[in-house]
Amino acid sequence: MKYIKAEILVGLFVLLGIIASVVLALKVAGLVLDSDTQSYKLYAKFENIGSLRLRAPVRIGGVLIGRVSNISLDKQSLTPVVELSIEQQYNQISSESKAAIQTSGIIGEQYISITPGFYDEDMGSEYFKDGDYFTDTGSALVLEDLISKFVFNSSQDKKEDQKVADEQDKE
Amino acid sequence: MTDNYLIRVKDVSFSYQRKQIYKDLTLDIPKGKITAILGPSGTGKTTILRLIGAQLTPDKGTIEFDGINVHSLSRNALYKLRQRMSMLFQSGALFTDMTVFDNVAFPIREHTDLPEKLIFDIVMMNLEAVGMRAAANLYPSELSGGMARRAALARAIALDPDLVMYDEPFVGQDPITKGVLVKLIADINLSLGKTSVVVTHDVKEILEIAHYVYILAEGKVLGQGTPSEIIHSQDPRVIQFIQGDFDGPYAFKLKGSENYIEEL
Amino acid sequence: MLSFLGSLGRYSLFKLSSLGRSTLIFFHSIFVIPNIVKTFPLLISQVYFVGVQSVIIIIVSGLFIGMVLGLQGFNILKDFMATGSLGSLVSLAIIRELGPVVTALLFAGRAGSALTAEIGQLKASEQLSAMEMMAVDPLRRVIAPRFWAGMISMPILSILFCLVGIYGGKLVGVDWLGLDDGIYWSSMQASVDALKDLGPMVIKALVFGFVCTWIALFNGYDCKPTSEGISRATTATVVQSSLAVLGLDFVLTALMF
Repeated sequence: MKYIKAEILVGLFVLLGIIASVVLALKVAGLVLDSDTQSYKLYAKFENIGSLRLRAPVRIGGVLIGRVSNISLDKQSLTPVVELSIEQQYNQISSESKAAIQTSGIIGEQYISITPGFYDEDMGSEYFKDGDYFTDTGSALVLEDLISKFVFNSSQDKKEDQKVADEQDKE
Repeated sequence: MTDNYLIRVKDVSFSYQRKQIYKDLTLDIPKGKITAILGPSGTGKTTILRLIGAQLTPDKGTIEFDGINVHSLSRNALYKLRQRMSMLFQSGALFTDMTVFDNVAFPIREHTDLPEKLIFDIVMMNLEAVGMRAAANLYPSELSGGMARRAALARAIALDPDLVMYDEPFVGQDPITKGVLVKLIADINLSLGKTSVVVTHDVKEILEIAHYVYILAEGKVLGQGTPSEIIHSQDPRVIQFIQGDFDGPYAFKLKGSENYIEEL
Repeated sequence: MLSFLGSLGRYSLFKLSSLGRSTLIFFHSIFVIPNIVKTFPLLISQVYFVGVQSVIIIIVSGLFIGMVLGLQGFNILKDFMATGSLGSLVSLAIIRELGPVVTALLFAGRAGSALTAEIGQLKASEQLSAMEMMAVDPLRRVIAPRFWAGMISMPILSILFCLVGIYGGKLVGVDWLGLDDGIYWSSMQASVDALKDLGPMVIKALVFGFVCTWIALFNGYDCKPTSEGISRATTATVVQSSLAVLGLDFVLTALMF
């Protein structure tokens, strides 16, 4: 009888471990079991993807509609290509839409925000199909670039001032 | 002649932690008989049993069990061979987390695939043989020393081994228990025909049942023979040991303490 | 000076030989074909002894460590107006480091020392010798099931610790200090990656389980069969396991993150 009790407790223990790891994966790591959810692929070329990572969310107006499924580099144009995996239920996105890399908060994670474009059959616009590319994209706002641009510009201004002053001196 | 001896120990030397325990020890243990190995405390009588069981390896010499050199065997072959021997440890060495029944059933369950019903019968038969059937469901901690030893004996003979080794079976037992154990050892030898090796220093008890006696001292065989030969031995050292005189060839004083008077 | 060198040499030889012995014992006990029918009940009872009996201490310590992290983290993040990252802080700290490491330390103290003492006791009372003489290999019968029980229990305990710790952080941060529930979980989900964080956690737990269990078993099997020897071996188990866990944690972190 004592043995049976130990067996039950060990069974419970292992079960607890399995449940805990499932909870950990779903609730903590936010893992979505998307094996049964249908999705289609869209592609977007960016100049700079910043620190965008795999599985980063794709949102429209803040609503999650998919995730980044792959990031690669186009070998000819040497620009980053991001593959987006969009849930099948959101299949009415106009091809005029714009994809932009944005940051949640100042130091938060980067995600892709899609701004829906207009849809008018007369104007020849249509919905995105599997494998389509975004024509309109907005690159990541890289904080360092902004800062260096600012610093560079101001220092260049100074240098030009210096040059002018030098030339004036020579004369 | 080889066939008459189950174990042949040849020129075995063994030292443990730089202390020489045996030097060129040679002894033969006849098949189907009770052989007693006597000797004063601290001569490593237990060691010889561990050497036979190959738990220890001699520095030199060979030990043959039924013609097989036990120390030349591979690990697996050694475990196979050990099924033919068993040992009764000084403390009994019953598994403390099992009942007496499970202890006796342990070697049977480990080595055979007998159905539980049959195991029950074998265990009860063995326990009955040592008069412990009523204690089958007790745990070792609930047993007295003598009962524990009897239970361990039942476990030792459970697998029907060829050889049973007894390590100091009488130590710390009251006279009645000693008598019971003596009777059990004799019975097991007589009725089951098992070769028995008894290591002890209880001279009186063992001389009653032993067929052959070795007396060990200082790593060598001091005297050997049948019990009557030993009792009538002329060797003063043997006489001292058998009769338990406090002084004689083996001095009462330890070596190196002669000049006590000078110290005073 | 010479005697110092001599004793140093002797000491290293001694350590080297015990390392070799431990490896040999390891191979003899692990690389044997187990008899499933006979081994499985032993494994169950050992998982009960090693794992189930450690659950309470693991859950209680996990809860408290999570709560402390929640409290400290909240107070520090408040200064930067970044309490929204509390979930990320608590979960990463627990999953990457504290979970496996603290679990392993508790495991060494609770289960490891008990294993050493138990095996030492078996050895001192000649039960291991008796088993050998009954032609039952104690490495297979005694050591192997305990080893596998440790290897099974450690990851489960570690996962439990992480989960309870994260809920402990939530208890303090969300329920007591008023952080929004959704922000806590979403910042966590944004920063914890299933493969890159949970995977290494399980790997760490397995490695620590291996090291702690093995140190405990070897110390027990190799101890002097006296009461003093057992108590020394038990102490050695806790000290060696703790040091090994902390050292290995650094190595594993450097390799995996």
